[in-house]
Amino acid sequence: MHIHETNPKKTLITVLVFALIILAGFLTVKKPKFRYKKTLAETVGMLEKKEGCFKPWQLVDVLSKVNNKVVLIDIRNKFEYGQGHIPGSENISAYDLTKDKNIKHLEELKNNGMTVVLYGNDQLQANGPCVWYRMVGFDNVKVLMGGYEYYKKHKDNLEATKNLDDYIKEIPRYDFAKVASSKGEVKTENKPKKAKIKVRRRKKTAVAAGGC
Amino acid sequence: MNKNYIFLTILMLALAVGTLFLHKEKEYEQIKPEELLWDIIQPTRYVTTDQVAKMIIAKDPTLELVDVRDSKQFEKFSLPNAVNVPLSDILKPESQDYFGLPGVKVVFFSNDDITADQAWVITKRMGYNDTYVMKGGLNCWIETIIQPKEPEETAPYTEFEKYQFRKGAQMYFTGAKVESSAKKTEVKVRRRKKTSVAAGGC
Repeated sequence: MHIHETNPKKTLITVLVFALIILAGFLTVKKPKFRYKKTLAETVGMLEKKEGCFKPWQLVDVLSKVNNKVVLIDIRNKFEYGQGHIPGSENISAYDLTKDKNIKHLEELKNNGMTVVLYGNDQLQANGPCVWYRMVGFDNVKVLMGGYEYYKKHKDNLEATKNLDDYIKEIPRYDFAKVASSKGEVKTENKPKKAKIKVRRRKKTAVAAGGC
Repeated sequence: MNKNYIFLTILMLALAVGTLFLHKEKEYEQIKPEELLWDIIQPTRYVTTDQVAKMIIAKDPTLELVDVRDSKQFEKFSLPNAVNVPLSDILKPESQDYFGLPGVKVVFFSNDDITADQAWVITKRMGYNDTYVMKGGLNCWIETIIQPKEPEETAPYTEFEKYQFRKGAQMYFTGAKVESSAKKTEVKVRRRKKTSVAAGGC
């Protein structure tokens, strides 16, 4: 005995109900707040091109308001920000970066063609957040090379850092193979290099005692 | 057979086939952006050069050192037993063999720590766990392990302990490589001197 045969419209009703349920499902599905706008391959390509680096001496124009297309964001916590920060920078702690309010703010900045420069104590602190922002579609986000520590050390003469390379990361500072096989006796060999290293080390010890 | 049933069957099948195309662009099983950022802002992924040195000396079998610099730099110098996965090759299928092994700690390193950190972000997004970044990179490795600096006399005791460890590590990593006898004796003299200092301190 087929019930459908007695009521041919039943099929149509079933199909309609089915379609409605699916439609309701699609409508109520939560839209994710963030989506990766760059695939993994695109991200790696972006990192290789080393886009998104903001050099310390570029701050000169920002601080003197010649370049008003740049917004500085301090991603350290309020306490550290309160102890000292780059003039004119906003404070959005790393933990608040995804808050609706802040994302909206960043979207506004992006739509207005502004460049956003993130900085932490060192470059490493802001590196991850910067890469993350670029992955989810904020291509206007950059990271301040050297971070706040470097700015603090050179704030009286940022222009002069144009000729320095000590804020550039990933440069081998030693001839590794030579130094590593020389039983630590090279200390007296190259004096200029040593002087440079000393400066870096002092900077580092201020961050975490002992370690780099 | 009722023609309505056939119609319904075809509809269901069409929908089922349709779902196959929904996740087509998915390449790896990636973690959600929010989770990724949460992991990024935690400093727990950083290991110090001292910790890495300790693990190498202890021949920790769970340690997997991954050098993310290009192969040219890798061939010149790298850490003992490190493998070379340049950042540009990190997505290649053969590179995946090194990641995600149960119980294995992957430690990324480069000249400093920026490239290593970026490699970490990529692998984290791909869903791999137990990955770390050697803070300071090889430059810091040289400064702390290969050429440790004696702490000031006023430095706290822990600094001297650390220096003692680094001195030992320096011997381990540099002395073992060169077998020249003349130099060896030189080192021996220095070593004896140091230990006597330590004995007095204790």
